[in-house]
Amino acid sequence: MRLRRTRPTPAPPASPAPLLCRWDLDKTYLRSDFDTLRSLLRTAFERAEDKVDVPGVAEVIRALKAAAERHGRQALVYFVSASPPQIGAAIRRKLALDGVPYDGIVFKDQLANLRRGRLRHLREHVGFKLAELLRGRLAAPPEASELLFGDDWESDSLIYSLYADAVAGRLPPERLALLLRRIRVDPRLAAEILALAARAARGERVARVARIFINLERRSPPATFRLFGPRVVPTFNYFQTATVLGADGYLGAEDVAQVGRVLLEGAGYTPRRLENSLGDLVRRGHLTPAAADALGAGLRARGVLPPGERAGARWRRVRGAFRRLRGGRRTDGAPAVAEGSALDYDAILDGLRPEAAPASERA
Amino acid sequence: MPTIAVDAMGGDHAPDEVVRGVAQVSLATDIECLLVGDERRIQAVLEGASYNPEHIAILHCADAVGMAEEPREAVKRRDTSLVVGVRAVAEGRAQAFVSAGNTGACVLACAKHFRLLRGVRRAALASVYPRQREHPSQDPLALLLDVGATVRCEAEELVHFALMGSAYARRISKVASPAVGLLNMGSEETKGGEVLVEAQRRLRELPAVNFVGNVEGNDLVRGRADVIVCEGLLGNVVLKLIEGVSEVLYDMTGRAADRRLAWRLGLRLLARGIERLRALTDYTQYGGSPILGFEHLCIKCHGRSSARAIGNAVKVAAKAVRDHVPREIADAVAAAR
Repeated sequence: MRLRRTRPTPAPPASPAPLLCRWDLDKTYLRSDFDTLRSLLRTAFERAEDKVDVPGVAEVIRALKAAAERHGRQALVYFVSASPPQIGAAIRRKLALDGVPYDGIVFKDQLANLRRGRLRHLREHVGFKLAELLRGRLAAPPEASELLFGDDWESDSLIYSLYADAVAGRLPPERLALLLRRIRVDPRLAAEILALAARAARGERVARVARIFINLERRSPPATFRLFGPRVVPTFNYFQTATVLGADGYLGAEDVAQVGRVLLEGAGYTPRRLENSLGDLVRRGHLTPAAADALGAGLRARGVLPPGERAGARWRRVRGAFRRLRGGRRTDGAPAVAEGSALDYDAILDGLRPEAAPASERA
Repeated sequence: MPTIAVDAMGGDHAPDEVVRGVAQVSLATDIECLLVGDERRIQAVLEGASYNPEHIAILHCADAVGMAEEPREAVKRRDTSLVVGVRAVAEGRAQAFVSAGNTGACVLACAKHFRLLRGVRRAALASVYPRQREHPSQDPLALLLDVGATVRCEAEELVHFALMGSAYARRISKVASPAVGLLNMGSEETKGGEVLVEAQRRLRELPAVNFVGNVEGNDLVRGRADVIVCEGLLGNVVLKLIEGVSEVLYDMTGRAADRRLAWRLGLRLLARGIERLRALTDYTQYGGSPILGFEHLCIKCHGRSSARAIGNAVKVAAKAVRDHVPREIADAVAAAR
C-alpha cells in the first residue's frame, strides 16, 4: 500500500463539472450562540436583521460562485442545518440581506420527528446530516466535485469525512454499518444511510470531496483534527479559508484579496493579523511555500498584507519555517493517509467519544 | 497594539509553558506576540493548544541558553532565542521582551543590545513582591530594586533606581506619588556607611521622589514604602529569603497536616485563609520582574514560570509599552539632573 503524506492536490477547476459547496449554518455561517438556554431561545426568535454572520463568509460564498462562473463552471451552494425549519424564514431573509446566492437549504424537521415519536432523532445530528448530504449527492450531477464547510462545535469533521469516504467508495457497507452503530445512529436512520451510500458510491472509487473546511469557532486545537488527514483543513478565519481555496484554484487572487478587505474594513483586522494568519497556514502545512509566495505577492500589491522589505523578510522566514516543519514532520508520526483507503475511524471515535462503544463493537 | 517578543526556549518548562502562556494571551487580548525559538517545537506545542494565530508570529532560531550556563559566554552566541529576541526588540520588530530564561544572560543581552536611557548609569532588575497594606486602597504589591542587575552601587545609581522605580509604580501600579524607601540597617540618617548616607541625603533633596527615609528589613513586607531601593547583592538576598520563607511555610503546613489528625482538621478550618495567603505570595500573578533603565523594556520571569505567569508577564510588558514607561523614566531622570 502506498502512503501519501502530503495533502491531496485537488484537480484545478477547469472541467465543466459543477462544484457543490455545502455549508453548515450555525457557527459556520452564523455566529449563533447556544451556550445557555436563554441564548438558545434568543437565537430561535431572532430577526434576520439581528443575526450576525461570521466575518468574510458571505464574501467567500459570493466569490466561489463568481470564480466558477468565470471558468465556465457552475457552483451550487447548499446549506444543511440541524436547526428546525421554523427559523427558516429568518435565515432566508438573512441570506438575502447578505446578498448570498444559494441553491438550496435543508432544515431538520424536529416537529415531524416529535409527532412520529422519533425522540432519538431529536438529538441525532450525525445521522440527519449524513443522510441529507447523501440525498443531495444523489440529486446532483454524478461528476460534480464538492467542498464542505462546517465548524468545530459538533461533529462536522466526522460527518463530512464519513460522507466523503462513503461517496468515494472507500467505506464498504458493513464497515459503515459498524461505524454508524458505534456512533449510535438510530437503526432506522442508519439503514436509510446505508441504502443512500450504496447508491451514491455507484461502485466507483473516485474522490468527490476535494476539501473539508472546519471553522475553528471554539478555537479547538488544530492537532485535534490531525487524524482526519489533510483533506480536512481547520481554519481560524475566512481569510485562511479563502487562501486555501485560492491556492487550490477555486478562487482568484482578487477574490482572496476581497475577503481580506472585508476583514480589514469591517471586522477590525490589520494587515499584520492577516499575514500572521497566512504564516499559520504555512506552518500547519495547508499551504505550500510556492502557493504562499504567489498569493502573498498579489495580496501585498493589493494592500491586504503589509508592504515593503520587512514583509518580504517575514515571508522568507515563514518559507524557511515551512521547510523546517516539513523536514521534521516526516519523522514525528504525523498522520499519513493511505491512498484509496478510508480514515482510521476507530482512532477518531476513540478521541471524540471515548465512551461511545466497547472495543468488541469496534469497526 | 504592541508586539512583545517572547523567549520561547527560556525557563525550566520551556517551550511548553511559554508557548501555552502566549496562546492564552492570544485568545484573551489583542497583544501580538513574537515567539522566538525552535519553530518546529513551538509549532508542535501551539497546535495542541487553543490559540489565535492572528496574534502570533514565530521567529526561528536553533540555539537556546541553558539555565545554568555562564552568562558572559552564553550571550556571545548570536543564534540563541534570548539574544535573537532582544535583538528583535532593539531592531524595532517588537516593543518589549519577555523571558523566563537565564537571568544573568538576560540582563547581559539587554545591556549589550539595548541603549541605556539618557542620564541613567546602570540598569536595575526590579521585583514585585506582596506586602501588608496599611489601608485598603494601597496596592498589595511593592517594588524592590535592584535585585541583581548591578551588584554594587554608588549613591547616584541608587538615586536613579528610586526615580526608575517611582516612574514604574506611577505607570503600572497607578500610584500617584509612590513612597520610596532606602533599604538600610537602621532608620537613622547616619546608618549604612558612606554610600547609603549620601544616597539618603540626595533622595531627601529630590522633589520628584516621595522619599520616606530608610526602611529596615522588617518594614519590607509592611506597607511603609511602595518602592524600596537597594544595591543588587542585597536585593537578591532579600528576594530569595522571602521566597524561601514562603516555601518553607507551605512545606511545614503540609507536613503538619500529615502528622496529627487535630492539626489536619485545624488546617481544614483555615483552608480559605491559607489559600488567600498562597494567592498573595503566588509569583505567577505578578508577571515577572522588569529590567529598568534601558530604552526598551524587558520582563524577566521566574525560571519555573507556568503558562499563567508567562501570560501575565506579556500583559505587564504590553501595559508598560502602552503607558510609555521608558519615556516616563527618562523624563524623571532628566528632571532630576
